[in-house]
Amino acid sequence: MEGQAKPTRRSKVTGLQDAARLARGALEERPELCLGGLFKQSRPVALVRALLAAGADGLHVYSSPGAGYDVDLMIAAGAVAQVFIPGVTLENRLCPNFRRAVEAGQVTAHALDALTVVGGLMASAHGVPFQPIDALRGSDVLKHNPLLHEIDCPFSGRRIHAVGPIRPRVTFLHAQEADRWGNLRHLSTMVYADQLMARASDMVIASVDRIVPDEVVLDDPSRVTVPSYYVDAVVEVPYGAHPTASFPNYAMDEDHIDAYADLGDAARTGDSTGLDTYIARHVTGPKNQSDYIEAVGGAGYFAVLEAEARNE
Amino acid sequence: MSAAVSPIEQMVVVLARDLADGELGAAGAAALVPMAAIALARELHAPNLTVGGEMFFNPEPGRLYPSMLDDRALGRCEAAETFIELFGHSHHGLDFFFHSGLQHDVYGNINLHHVGGTLHAPKMRGPGAANLSYCHTSSRYYICPTVHTARNFVETVDFITIPGHLSGPAAKRDAGLVNEGPRLVVTPRAVMDFDKTTLRMRLKSVHAGNTPEEVQRHTGFDLAIRGEVPQTRPPTEEELRVLRERIDTSGALRA
Repeated sequence: MEGQAKPTRRSKVTGLQDAARLARGALEERPELCLGGLFKQSRPVALVRALLAAGADGLHVYSSPGAGYDVDLMIAAGAVAQVFIPGVTLENRLCPNFRRAVEAGQVTAHALDALTVVGGLMASAHGVPFQPIDALRGSDVLKHNPLLHEIDCPFSGRRIHAVGPIRPRVTFLHAQEADRWGNLRHLSTMVYADQLMARASDMVIASVDRIVPDEVVLDDPSRVTVPSYYVDAVVEVPYGAHPTASFPNYAMDEDHIDAYADLGDAARTGDSTGLDTYIARHVTGPKNQSDYIEAVGGAGYFAVLEAEARNE
Repeated sequence: MSAAVSPIEQMVVVLARDLADGELGAAGAAALVPMAAIALARELHAPNLTVGGEMFFNPEPGRLYPSMLDDRALGRCEAAETFIELFGHSHHGLDFFFHSGLQHDVYGNINLHHVGGTLHAPKMRGPGAANLSYCHTSSRYYICPTVHTARNFVETVDFITIPGHLSGPAAKRDAGLVNEGPRLVVTPRAVMDFDKTTLRMRLKSVHAGNTPEEVQRHTGFDLAIRGEVPQTRPPTEEELRVLRERIDTSGALRA
């Protein structure tokens, strides 16, 4: 038998704009978007910017244990209706647009905790109707948390809590590496719930600092954090987590985040010109990641963040 | 030691003295002071004190960072963990944890959600909190805000994010809070503890350079000052030398 070409496996490598359109279409069906990473580490910020540039609104945003710059930027861009995130903070200061929008009644910020959000993701990932939680007592969060129910434990009879499945329509993750099939490799030390989010969601889109050859994955499969069958699209975006960190590749850009927060605070107290300019320059203006890198400060600027990640 | 002891260094030393050898604890996110206290205790009297329950196990910080949510802040560590530890330790338990907030009240309740208004119509919206379980599943915790004014020490918090002793022993029992809860409140001005019977906060000692009257003036509730209030025991030569030379090599606690 000759002439029968071996069928080829489909690459999941996608362009940033195509990935944003894919996400936008899915979120129009159901607006539940989940963001991976920690407060200032491994956030899928390039994907968030691309989604904002593609146009999104009315989103319900989930993350755990917390978020800062990215959700604040989404609120500044008018894309968010509800926030299901335990902690929303820039850590050294409050999130200005989050504050402004919640205080003005434009965005609903639910009172939640990390156990609830992680528990909901666990229920979804495990395919069970709820996750029991037995470690919450005495907080006013329990009176307001919309995802919790009190139940009787069928074994002990004690009153405990249950959270139903949280099934994001789309999850954005940022990992340091992937192969072209979408097998993700998180190389940072701290990875909180990315693996869980991937398994709990309908659609997963990941940005990575670089796509690596197939052999890198095959030679060290225990290093793969999310196998590609959970991943719908993978986008190679150099510095795709900026201004958050992607250890061990580059550190968080505290100066950039601080300057952004100053503009946000000015907007909160009445002068939004600086924030509008920021969004035009960093979110809606750049046509691709190269444009964004130039808008932020160019290759030399990012070399400093790379050195900081190596503790130089 | 040539340079004067900073109020933050005094906080670290007070906390370090209260951590015991062999304990397991975690620092929380805003971890400059807690991580320094843990590191100092390990250097001086608690070599078997281990740190776990968050996203990493037993870090060896090369220097102090304002946040532990930064791979560099770990220095090296013995294991990388994930969210699983939050559930795991809910059952296994920590010995100690650290909290601070926008408001702290006379029972050690902590507010991180809103000041004024209501949750969904707040005058000022705070960050919320990631972790509500360690205040209950950790045997005890410390309250250690780096400011102490009548605005962040109030009679009653506007929202209980992290329960302290609620409104006293009965309320605590009714809520199922069977652990010790907050043990000490350590600020740049003073150390407070809680009356064993009422569980109300009271002044325990004032740091050098402060008077009980000043501390009371900067606190929004009655600190139950009765008679002489001792001065907080200042750092020893050894404590200060180890803290500055081996832990806070960048001077973050004196900034």
